[in-house]
Amino acid sequence: MAQTPVLQVNNLKTHFFTRSGVVKAVDGVDFTLNAGETLGIVGESGSGKSMTALSIMGLVPQPAGKIVEGEILFNGDDLVKKTQAELQQIRGRDICMILQDPMTSLNPVFSVGNQVIETVKQSLAQTGETLKERAIELLHKVKIAAPESRIENFPHQMSGGMRQRVVGAIAIAGSPQILIADEATTSLDATIQYQYLELLKELQRDTGMAIIFITHDMGVVAKMCDRVAVMYAGKVAEIADVRDIFNNPQHPYTEALMKSVPNVEEDVEMLYAIEGQPPALDNLPAGCTFAPRCQYAFDKCEVQFPDIVQIGDDSNRHTATCWKLSEN
Amino acid sequence: MAAVNTIIELEETQKYFPVTSGAILKKVTGQVKAVDGVSFKINEGETYSLVGESGCGKSTTAKMVLQVEKPTGGVIRFNGNDMNSFTREQRREYRASIQAVFQDPWSSLNPRMKVGNIIMEPLLANQEVPKGEIKERTEQLLRDVGLHSFQADYYPHEFSGGQRQRIAIARALSLQPKVIVLDEPVSALDVSIRAQIMNLLKQLQDQYGVSYLLIAHQLATVRYMSHHVGVMYLGKMVEEGLTKKVFDNPRHPYTRALIEASLPAHPDSQREGFMLEGEVPSPLNPPQGCSFHPRCPKPTKECAEGSMEMGLIEVEEGHRVDRCCVNCG
Ligand SMILES: Nc1ncnc2c1ncn2[C@@H]1O[C@H](COP(=O)(O)OP(=O)(O)OP(=O)(O)O)[C@@H](O)[C@H]1O
Ligand SMILES: Nc1ncnc2c1ncn2[C@@H]1O[C@H](COP(=O)(O)OP(=O)(O)OP(=O)(O)O)[C@@H](O)[C@H]1O
Ligand code: SF4
Ligand SMILES: [Mg+2]
Ligand SMILES: [Mg+2]
Repeated sequence: MAQTPVLQVNNLKTHFFTRSGVVKAVDGVDFTLNAGETLGIVGESGSGKSMTALSIMGLVPQPAGKIVEGEILFNGDDLVKKTQAELQQIRGRDICMILQDPMTSLNPVFSVGNQVIETVKQSLAQTGETLKERAIELLHKVKIAAPESRIENFPHQMSGGMRQRVVGAIAIAGSPQILIADEATTSLDATIQYQYLELLKELQRDTGMAIIFITHDMGVVAKMCDRVAVMYAGKVAEIADVRDIFNNPQHPYTEALMKSVPNVEEDVEMLYAIEGQPPALDNLPAGCTFAPRCQYAFDKCEVQFPDIVQIGDDSNRHTATCWKLSEN
Repeated sequence: MAAVNTIIELEETQKYFPVTSGAILKKVTGQVKAVDGVSFKINEGETYSLVGESGCGKSTTAKMVLQVEKPTGGVIRFNGNDMNSFTREQRREYRASIQAVFQDPWSSLNPRMKVGNIIMEPLLANQEVPKGEIKERTEQLLRDVGLHSFQADYYPHEFSGGQRQRIAIARALSLQPKVIVLDEPVSALDVSIRAQIMNLLKQLQDQYGVSYLLIAHQLATVRYMSHHVGVMYLGKMVEEGLTKKVFDNPRHPYTRALIEASLPAHPDSQREGFMLEGEVPSPLNPPQGCSFHPRCPKPTKECAEGSMEMGLIEVEEGHRVDRCCVNCG
């Protein structure tokens, strides 16, 4: 696989300035994404996954939110330094995102066809197809039945899963270099989800597109991802190849997260859940943010935030942020 | 076993949406058969789950139960009373007995209200609550769904997707209703919070005898939560019954495909290939005959031509399957 990074995120910090204080939604995130690679971002709800993605897109909610530190290098070019006009160019073409909430990306007063055609317009011209044909073809690809007539639908006339797929169709219309999918399959049943994921893989094979998959579904992670970043309270707790995350998790949070994944084949009385609450991001504990819930916590954990530790030799790019790992 | 009472019953319930064309003078040119004659019962203190292909009519069914959409045919009963002929008093009682968590929490949370008020709104609209108790109950509800009690003063936009979904759940729980409709309540939550909320929902069911109508795509969630499950395909129920029986011995080819397509949660146990061929059908123009025949592994001539009789038949106690497809899987 090609090892050229299309995206390098270095020490990214995105904070919200609210009446009750500073919310450190993203607080020092690092990762690298190579062309043709798929990175999964998993972790606690509210840990900063969507905000990391929105920072890359230049879409951090204004005026409360701001990137306060760090770099986002897209093919070596720092996106943090770009103007909104420049970012808009990149967004429509090179980096596309499927937002977690499909209704905010679809305009309720225009037909679905209208909205797909608008996007297709920007990426077409060289091929002889008409815009409408291309739009129908895209909807067909994402398994919308009878796309010729569905194209007339308004968003509210479609089911939740259909809307999600329309947003997906818009995002892949221009074959971007990076696709960010934020909870893009939550409303799809298993059979449609399977076909949709296969479509993304095919697109990736054909165009070398890199994908960031933000998801809570470990099945999706297992099927799609080469690498996985596990986030907790605004930071990457652990990052590694997908097999290492499943077979050899090192961070206590990763370990607990994997234990919470339910099994379809089993009947259980109670599901396993991690004890305690995730920390409030405007009032983080000193030391390791996972310490109040960690079964391995010891003195040092409560005082100082842990260093990043390399697991094994550095060829397998596996790191975790935990004192337990550097103490022995 | 004690006798169970049915709290909500759907009988041949139907919802057709008109299809219109023309920009200004809309002409009705057809119908979307979103729900096409669905029957099932939700028992007191139990969970009934609906699963099925995206667009098959699950949310529409739920909306009819909630009286957000009006059925175009069939009957829905609450405690034996036809909802169509509710008295004003019965309607009021029903409204106070049922709550919902919708698929898109964004659209159901008022952006101008503080979260604490959002959560307590259904309760305060229906009951007198002593002033001193309001704060305490709000905070308890927030903690129940894994949020912080001081977050009662925040606005919805200050929360992540999964946190907003939990606000919607806290709101639905506040009134301690008899029935809660849950349309994909946990799919946007991380696995640990998801487990915490499912445990909570189950505990409330044991404690207060709440009934749930659950829509979920994660079969593990369905299996954990439900007593009965109904599998829908293109507006119709194709297999239905006790959860364990349906999961352990699925008979309809669509149910089988659904189970097989569930992704194993480990990179080492990935399967290759996919068994459900053919085009996804459209409720705008449903296929003739058995609605599943274009994707069925071995359809007969009758299946395709429509001389086949459809409808559920019992294959074992507490397990019913579409008679056309019993032996197709
Ligand atoms: N406008 C805002 N003002 C203040 N805080 C905010 C705002 N938007 C988000 N946050 C906070 O930022 C944190 C990160 O949010 P983000 O949406 O990135 O979470 P997430 O990891 O995507 O979670 P989920 O899995 O629930 O979608 C959350 O704890 C949230 O409360
Ligand atoms: N207001 C409406 N007007 C016209 N058609 C509608 C309307 N609401 C729903 N439909 C159609 O009814 C069918 C069933 O939709 P529904 O939302 O019930 O599906 P669903 O099973 O909940 O799907 P998903 O799993 O994707 O949420 C779809 O074909 C949809 O397009
Ligand atoms: S640093 Fe300490 S508290 Fe934090 S995860 Fe590691 S062992 Fe647990
Ligand atoms: Mg998110
Ligand atoms: Mg739905």
